[in-house]
Amino acid sequence: MTDDAADFVVIGSGAAGASAALVLAEAGRDVVVLEEGPEVRDEDRGLGSHEAFMRLFRDKGTQVAMGRSVIPMLQGRCVGGTTVVNGAIVWRLPEDAYDRVFGAIGADRAVPLAALEARMDRIERDLAVSPASDRLLGGNGTTMKRGAAKLGWKAHAIRRNVVDCQGSGRCLEACPTKRKQSMERTYLPRAVGLGARILPDHEVRVVETSAARAVAVSGRRSDGSPFRVAARRGIVLAASAIQSPCILLRSGLGPRRHVGAHFRAHPGTAVAGVYREPVRLWEGATQSFEVDEFRSQGFKMEVVGLPVDLAGVRLPGLGADFQRSMADFPNMAVWGVQVRAEAEGHVAPAGDGARITYTPSRADMLVFRHGVRRLAELHFAAGAIRVYPGVHGGPEVLTSPDELPLLDALPLDPRDWSLISSHLFSTCRMGRTADDGVVGFDGAVHGVRGLWALDASILPTNLGVNPQHTIMALAMLLAERIAVA
Amino acid sequence: MGLGEGAQRRIAVVLADVLGEPLDVALAVAAFIDRYLRRVPFQAALGLRFVTWAITWLPLFFVGVPLPAHLLSTETRLRYVERWSHARFYFLREGFYLLKAIALMGWGAEPVVRARLGVGPMAAVRP
Repeated sequence: MTDDAADFVVIGSGAAGASAALVLAEAGRDVVVLEEGPEVRDEDRGLGSHEAFMRLFRDKGTQVAMGRSVIPMLQGRCVGGTTVVNGAIVWRLPEDAYDRVFGAIGADRAVPLAALEARMDRIERDLAVSPASDRLLGGNGTTMKRGAAKLGWKAHAIRRNVVDCQGSGRCLEACPTKRKQSMERTYLPRAVGLGARILPDHEVRVVETSAARAVAVSGRRSDGSPFRVAARRGIVLAASAIQSPCILLRSGLGPRRHVGAHFRAHPGTAVAGVYREPVRLWEGATQSFEVDEFRSQGFKMEVVGLPVDLAGVRLPGLGADFQRSMADFPNMAVWGVQVRAEAEGHVAPAGDGARITYTPSRADMLVFRHGVRRLAELHFAAGAIRVYPGVHGGPEVLTSPDELPLLDALPLDPRDWSLISSHLFSTCRMGRTADDGVVGFDGAVHGVRGLWALDASILPTNLGVNPQHTIMALAMLLAERIAVA
Repeated sequence: MGLGEGAQRRIAVVLADVLGEPLDVALAVAAFIDRYLRRVPFQAALGLRFVTWAITWLPLFFVGVPLPAHLLSTETRLRYVERWSHARFYFLREGFYLLKAIALMGWGAEPVVRARLGVGPMAAVRP
């Protein structure tokens, strides 16, 4: 039984799936996009972190990687994917990162930087990308800017995909004013305008093959009923670095020793500082300013406008002490350090979901220790009167820059740290042959015709910068070739 | 899976001390945890439900008092919860922070708390 058929079936509607669907539709192909999650309705937006988790995130925000510690792995699960619930950060892939990611595997001729940059130019035009204005820096961004200027660190306003942002500080809850140019607002409606069909609540479980060619996908709708969609020309896997390998493994496709292996991430942690003047985290863009000084050392710093409920989790104190800490919330700035971790993990299907195993390496933890020290230094330079490093076994609070050396002795066990990640990579990594990776330089899954993977799972390693822009540009480039293949 | 009324009342007494809030706010937070448990995937709900049970019933192993947490004196209960939050064993410590994290989502949604912190109502902003 086949419920639908199209030239191309695109699995996933996030940054990669939406970009691929648009390009294929622009080429005149008949496209169906299958999205596991629901449509994002107006009434789902801006309802706070809890309702966002419940309605828009995978596993209702409870997805974790298990290893030496438990690390939340946040992903959107809705039409538009993680672009709906991210900080609207658009980072052009820097040349040094390109060399490390594509040059290192000899893909620089197949995936030239100039070709990616041309697609990035288009994406930036399409999504109205521009740096956050001073008005949108809010207290959080303005404070980081002041600290970075004092220390002479390289820093800048974050470039964001927004139009007339209202600065409501709720990017992570699906923009309540619909100013963020996420995929459900941009590329997906454009693809629909060209004839594409978006089917929410359709979870693909298996890719079906015939004579080593991908011919259809099957799965179940959110009401439990089965479906099958046939592909006349091909199937594009864009379900994320967690779901794409799971679909391949359930289907028995791809080089088995590489599918789901080599999982990489950008784990991060946050450091809060309390100031004499109001910061008002909830005003301005959620993520408006960043420090790029230490990218060559494997980490970058960003402001994170956390809501009161998430900001309070790792603050010390119980009862009256907790109340005193939270009374500082209006004067609190929260900044994150995000690490280009060297550790590799593994992803595999487990029950209805995925099992992610991942433990940051000792070298990664040394970068975290250094990053937290630098963040605390930045807070004091910006005028903080108290800094909360948030690491078990370290000082609960610092009240003077003279105490910064205490952070050089922070423990290196990941179990002492509160880490989180939303940038996930490399579980179907690109490689010239099946001995090297899961897909070739054209995104085609080794050993199967008519099946391509185009999402973050094919990036050979983690980028060291926010990945949405690179994911979209790569998907666009490869989809252009698929459309005419 | 959820929290029965009795379990809500018991954990609310603990949460009132953890959050420094009056019992009516803590009861609202406990009711939120009940609703949370009913919505999240089974495995996550099971973990949180177990932590809630353990924090309620295991003071004997942390402070040597053979009473459930809600019947301890406030001073002893704070000492008890402090031991969870600073436990050397990772899963005990993280269990406490898991409960705190979920409780804070309920706490942060309480109008009285939001008004006190000046962060405005939870309702969505519209264009």
